[in-house]
Amino acid sequence: MMKTDVIIIGGGSTGCGIARDLAIRGISHCLIEKGDFASGATGACHGLLHSGGRYVVNDPEAAAECISENMILRKIGQKCVEQTGGLFVRLPGDSKNFRDRFLKSCETIGIETDVLSPSRALDLVPNINPSIEEAIKVPDCSIDPFRLCMLNITTSKKRGGRILIHHRVTEIVKEHGKCVGVKVREGLTGREMELRGRIVINATGAWGDKTAAMAGGSVPMTLSKGSLIVTNHRLTNMVINRLRPSSDGDIIVPNEAVCLAGTTSMPVDDPDNIDVESHEVDLVAAEAEKMIPSFNSTRLIRTYAGVRPLLSSETGDDRSISRGFRIIDHQNGMFSIMGGKLTTYRLMAEKMCDKVVEVFGLKKRCRTAEIPLEGQEQLSGYPLSKRLKELKDIVCECELVTRDAVERAVNDVGPRYIGDIQHRTRLGMGPCQGGFCTYRALGIMQESGRMKPDESKRILKEFLQRRFKGIRPALWGDQLREEQLVESIYLGILGMEEKG
Amino acid sequence: MSSPYDVVVIGGGMSGLMAAISLVEKGRNVAVISKGDPVCCLSTGCIDLFSRGDDPIGGIELLPDYHPYRLIGVERVKESLDIFQDIMRVAGLPYVGDLRVNRKILTPFGTDKITCLVPETMESADCDPDEYIHVISFKGLKDFYPSYITSGHVNSGYSIFDAGVSSTSAIAERFEDKDFLQEFISWLLNLSLPDGKIAFPAVLGTRSSMSIFNEISNRLERDIFEIPTIPPSIPGERLFNRFKNLFLEKGGSLYWGKEIASVEKLGGRIEAVTLSTRGRPTRVQGTLFILATGSFVSGGLYASMDDVRETVFDLETYLPGERKDWFNEDFFIPGHTIEKAGIRVDSTLRPLDSEFSNLFVCGSILAFTEVMKYGCGHGTAIATGVAAANMCEELL
Ligand SMILES: Cc1cc2nc3c(=O)[nH]c(=O)nc-3n(C[C@H](O)[C@H](O)[C@H](O)COP(=O)(O)OP(=O)(O)OC[C@H]3O[C@@H](n4cnc5c(N)ncnc54)[C@H](O)[C@@H]3O)c2cc1C
Ligand SMILES: Cc1cc2nc3c(=O)[nH]c(=O)nc-3n(C[C@H](O)[C@H](O)[C@H](O)COP(=O)(O)OP(=O)(O)OC[C@H]3O[C@@H](n4cnc5c(N)ncnc54)[C@H](O)[C@@H]3O)c2cc1C
Repeated sequence: MMKTDVIIIGGGSTGCGIARDLAIRGISHCLIEKGDFASGATGACHGLLHSGGRYVVNDPEAAAECISENMILRKIGQKCVEQTGGLFVRLPGDSKNFRDRFLKSCETIGIETDVLSPSRALDLVPNINPSIEEAIKVPDCSIDPFRLCMLNITTSKKRGGRILIHHRVTEIVKEHGKCVGVKVREGLTGREMELRGRIVINATGAWGDKTAAMAGGSVPMTLSKGSLIVTNHRLTNMVINRLRPSSDGDIIVPNEAVCLAGTTSMPVDDPDNIDVESHEVDLVAAEAEKMIPSFNSTRLIRTYAGVRPLLSSETGDDRSISRGFRIIDHQNGMFSIMGGKLTTYRLMAEKMCDKVVEVFGLKKRCRTAEIPLEGQEQLSGYPLSKRLKELKDIVCECELVTRDAVERAVNDVGPRYIGDIQHRTRLGMGPCQGGFCTYRALGIMQESGRMKPDESKRILKEFLQRRFKGIRPALWGDQLREEQLVESIYLGILGMEEKG
Repeated sequence: MSSPYDVVVIGGGMSGLMAAISLVEKGRNVAVISKGDPVCCLSTGCIDLFSRGDDPIGGIELLPDYHPYRLIGVERVKESLDIFQDIMRVAGLPYVGDLRVNRKILTPFGTDKITCLVPETMESADCDPDEYIHVISFKGLKDFYPSYITSGHVNSGYSIFDAGVSSTSAIAERFEDKDFLQEFISWLLNLSLPDGKIAFPAVLGTRSSMSIFNEISNRLERDIFEIPTIPPSIPGERLFNRFKNLFLEKGGSLYWGKEIASVEKLGGRIEAVTLSTRGRPTRVQGTLFILATGSFVSGGLYASMDDVRETVFDLETYLPGERKDWFNEDFFIPGHTIEKAGIRVDSTLRPLDSEFSNLFVCGSILAFTEVMKYGCGHGTAIATGVAAANMCEELL
């Protein structure tokens, strides 16, 4: 049976951040994630490295955390942060009073601002609505959540951390009322094993209450779904926020070759069962169009949703539901760390690991803010343009992924999870959303003997169904046309339809 | 300015060209205007008539009476497909098949596609799972992986030939070169394959496909067949090119790569359309007009967030419900509700609720065609194309 000091459940930004922090402090650990890295809220988020502007009026404490972490991450994570800058735009009718409070709070907290006239804003972002009243420039950035997780994991692995992806924790083992380990099951084979540890950290986000329940504890929370839509190109090179109290659909973030617009906020019960509805798409698109008028004539290539855990306060008073993070000591060897943001993941990990060293009676201080994320040397720079080098044998035309890159990813993660290969190569993440390159990637894998044809057929079918689910709520215009083409090819030419 | 055409066909797909060819064969003066290549070029080149059952004609008889096949009548459907087969035989690209029996052809994914009429190069493409098939592929061909096929056929194998080029179009063009063909045949003979069929991705030539195919088959002394690939699809292009050339040979006029910029109306009739051409705009005048601009893929229809528009004449379209209901949840069940969208017509193929008395509509732009649901793409295009031509003949 494997033994370690700390067992981390959950491979989102929080779990991966904890793994890195523990690794640097020299504490042995094992991270267990039921899917791939970032398969929860982390991978479904907006990818905004907040300047704090969004929270500055209503939650100055959270805003202060954001700006200080923002400054740290742009230093230590150059290859996963794109320093786009952001604008808060005030549209006709938006409160002037809110704008004044915004500027004042920014000053108090130390978020640098620059008030721009519409014409100066238009110089920066030519697609922006020319009838805005004004725009306030803030240090927002765009961040690649998947890359962030991978880089944190690199350090953990280098220093002996055990990482199990596609392993689900099914049971928490207790002895004399204390958590001493976990039972896990591998996703495809169903193989089970047991791991022992001295502390169990529950970093399972929206699944947090379920995980805590396995150890007899609870993390009172309500779940809120947020939906996002993806455009087929980069409409803006800066983050665009609406200058008003936080509401639906008021952020647009550029990310590699595309833009992400969102979000909504709807109560849900089950984090594993979330669908984007077409009225959410309409709402986000309508709001985005107010800030960038060409938004609605742009092709939308995908929709997706993530779940935020909203932590209930002790009293159960709805108004005090907080988005700040919290560490809960279940008094049985398990800690839950919940809430927060991607932006503050490092700080959350720091506080969690401070607890761990305290329990172990060690004196090891956190150094994650000083050391650059390891493994960045091997990565290309963040913007896509830097990758337009000589490329041979292209498998994915939209994201310029080569046959080589696919083969390398297959060697890294094994061939069974096409999703993992897509995350690592960005295969199929572009405008056609894997319409054809997935078919090719699977063909390559079976040709090289890495996968049996029947398995690759099954994986392709699952992928196409998942892809369709993501596109379905946003099908009109050119994207509808594209989808009819894809359908005709897979069903009409390749004969993949349900027969009978 | 040129004198008016008898018929102006807008849209150069299977449907528009079928109508146009039928009319020029009767000596009419016909123009075809098309924005670009039709979806036929993306297709397998096989004619789906009604693919959701064993007997296509039997299936058509059971369709709802507002389906385009039923509007024009089953007898007319049969006649038009006979005409199609006659045309193709004369054009040197013969099709085989029986309107009462669907057939199976092997796909690059190793599944069977159900269809009705197939080019002769696919006549042997219906394979038993335990029959020996040897698949030949070409080095670097991106969308063709023989192992998808051989995995479903226990007795099978594959070999890969290096043609020096790797796209379907480039390889097909290589086959037009006699020396290349001989080199390829020698290579095949040297493989000394066990008895059984040999399958190729459908890249065996462009213009001379039938003679190339026959030569390979004769030299190998066995059954061979082509497997239609995903686009660019050579059999689809062969079919389209034959159609287009036939129309030109019979004296038709072609305005290719041109879009309609404006429409002139006069007293409930369409007088002329103007094309967006560089320099001076071209005006094309006609007595009768046929609209065959296809469905969403070709741009005959366009879906906005909550509506569907017809893009040339802004005709009334049938809209199947709200956007949230346009698509089913399952990708693999063919036929989403949105497929019902299109132009509603009467049994003479005139649009309902339209101001124009000299306009006919045919092909996949018609409401309720439901190409994927019924597997009836080229079939409806051909049948309604011939029917539209007949309606024009009656009036001219
Ligand atoms: C729509 C949306 C947009 C957002 N946008 C932003 C933004 O722009 N900027 C920002 O800073 N923050 C944003 N956030 C917040 C941010 O995404 C989250 O706060 C952060 O990603 C949480 O990370 P996490 O690791 O705690 O949770 P998660 O990423 O949800 O990770 C939990 C992991 O636990 C795994 N897991 C669950 N149960 C088990 C089990 N039994 N065994 C093993 N593994 C298990 C899950 O698979 C999952 O990967 C957004 C959130 C949402 C929902
Ligand atoms: C990928 C794919 C594979 C298919 N495979 C098969 C198959 O194997 N067998 C089968 O039977 N069916 C198949 N189909 C369906 C079949 O191809 C079509 O249903 C049928 O060919 C439609 O013909 P059409 O003439 O109605 O329209 P289209 O072929 O769509 O032709 C319309 C033409 O009108 C032109 N046009 C559009 N707007 C304008 C304008 N404003 N001005 C001028 N011109 C304009 C377009 O450029 C186009 O050339 C397939 C379809 C697809 C998409």
